[in-house]
Amino acid sequence: MAYDLDVARMKALSPSPLGAPSASGSPAPEPSRPVIKLDHLSKSFGTFQALQDINLSVLQGDVLAIIGPSGSGKSTLLRCINWLEPANSGRITVGDLSLDCSKPVGKEQITTLRRQLGMVFQSFNLFPHMTVLRNVSLAQERTLGRSRREADEVSMGLLERVGLADKAHQYPVRCSGGQQQRIAIARALALDPKVMLFDEPTSALDPELGLEVLAVMRELASSGMTMIVVTHEMGFAENVSEHTMIMADGQILEYGPSREVIRNPQTERARRFLRAVNDR
Amino acid sequence: MDILDSLLMGVTWADVQSWLPGFWNGFIISLEVTAASLALGIPMGFLLALGVQSRRKVLRLASLALVEIGRGAPALVLLQLVYFGLPSAGLSLSAFLAAVVAISWNTGAYTSEIIRAGLDAVPAGQREASHALGLSALDELRFVILPQGLRIAVPALMGFAILVFQGTSLCFAIALPEIVSRAYDIGSMYFYYFPALAVAGLFFAAVCIPASFLVGWIEHRAGAYARR
Ligand SMILES: Nc1ncnc2c1ncn2[C@@H]1O[C@H](COP(=O)(O)OP(=O)(O)OP(=O)(O)O)[C@@H](O)[C@H]1O
Ligand SMILES: [Mg+2]
Repeated sequence: MAYDLDVARMKALSPSPLGAPSASGSPAPEPSRPVIKLDHLSKSFGTFQALQDINLSVLQGDVLAIIGPSGSGKSTLLRCINWLEPANSGRITVGDLSLDCSKPVGKEQITTLRRQLGMVFQSFNLFPHMTVLRNVSLAQERTLGRSRREADEVSMGLLERVGLADKAHQYPVRCSGGQQQRIAIARALALDPKVMLFDEPTSALDPELGLEVLAVMRELASSGMTMIVVTHEMGFAENVSEHTMIMADGQILEYGPSREVIRNPQTERARRFLRAVNDR
Repeated sequence: MDILDSLLMGVTWADVQSWLPGFWNGFIISLEVTAASLALGIPMGFLLALGVQSRRKVLRLASLALVEIGRGAPALVLLQLVYFGLPSAGLSLSAFLAAVVAISWNTGAYTSEIIRAGLDAVPAGQREASHALGLSALDELRFVILPQGLRIAVPALMGFAILVFQGTSLCFAIALPEIVSRAYDIGSMYFYYFPALAVAGLFFAAVCIPASFLVGWIEHRAGAYARR
């Protein structure tokens, strides 16, 4: 009731045609738009074509799972997105930044691109000579210009979120693999990325330790983070990610809503791959 | 025993004691040359390590030349080149300075290889993580690569420091009054070559043997750090 009254008062104060739709009581949902978009992305190593004409867009808040046989180009795709490998041609668009991969691109633009993308590696790649807290704080200070205190405060919040606040002053080597990967996730989140990229985040872990990492990723997905996840965890792909993409030989074999792609693949190649995964 | 007696040539403990002040001064000079050469040479080695990987051709070639000459030429030749050669180019240095310049050069050339190997031994994933976090190239070097690479290089650098100290004995060739020069002086004055050189050797051993144990211990600890 109070709401209606407020609206009525606002309308009275500013009689504008734009005010009309909101009178219905429910504010219009913000239309989803792609946060990340790849157009005709190609990459070759010498004569070997690792990625061929990849077209892809991921909407705000969506989770995309990428699956596919070994050597199909999944890691290469992620590494091209954040310019760890420069692609040969095509266009990468993240938020307002759009880079043409066939033209020379400046250092600042690559840094701008990377600051919008968080990356989590299969092998964690934490800095072994720094405490867990420094691992999470360093890039905040150096690339976002936060003070040590601000950065540490953000880091503690994130470590809390991944359940590792008590490890803040330990060195990474003292942590289990699952804990290290959760720290790596906190480190990537610390830069407020628009999109999180995961390259087989649980493949180096025992199944139990993988579960705690997957739990953190689920929580992240439900909080609305846009994520691209290369994974062999079919449960995660089917239950957490909105869309799933199957890659083979540097190309997109299938793409669609996760359940459809995984339960009812259209191509024989995809069926063969999924059978192999399920038999394992 | 006869051989030993004839080698010692009847030198008495009192003789040896009378030599000690001179040896001690020579020892200090050897330590000074070592310290100065390491203090100049290791930073130079660090710069050369970066220089040989530089994308700028001039810098790369200059670094490469300094490294190759510094490593390729025997230390004795470098010493004499700097001490006897530079004056003909109009620059004459004291024996001490010439020693420091030549040995620093030698040190820079060798340690650049040690440091480069240390930096190369940092796993590629560390660089990728730095890139993914948007760290600048300088920050990556300063905060990620150097701390790990130098830690890897420390035992080898310390081992090389021992060699530098031993190498100062070559400075007798440019008449720097370090330990071995003192032994030569005594030898040529009284013909006590063997006893005098033996005392000189003891001075070196007194430093080098404990230092080698220290390096071994640090190497072990460094390994423990990696395994921890
Ligand atoms: N730096 C490189 N130089 C040459 N070839 C490369 C390089 N990186 C990847 N490749 C090749 O590109 C292809 C795709 O590799 P990629 O690592 O992207 O596969 P993937 O799908 O991630 O496989 P996996 O499931 O085993 O991780 C492979 O054939 C690989 O050998
Ligand atoms: Mg891969």
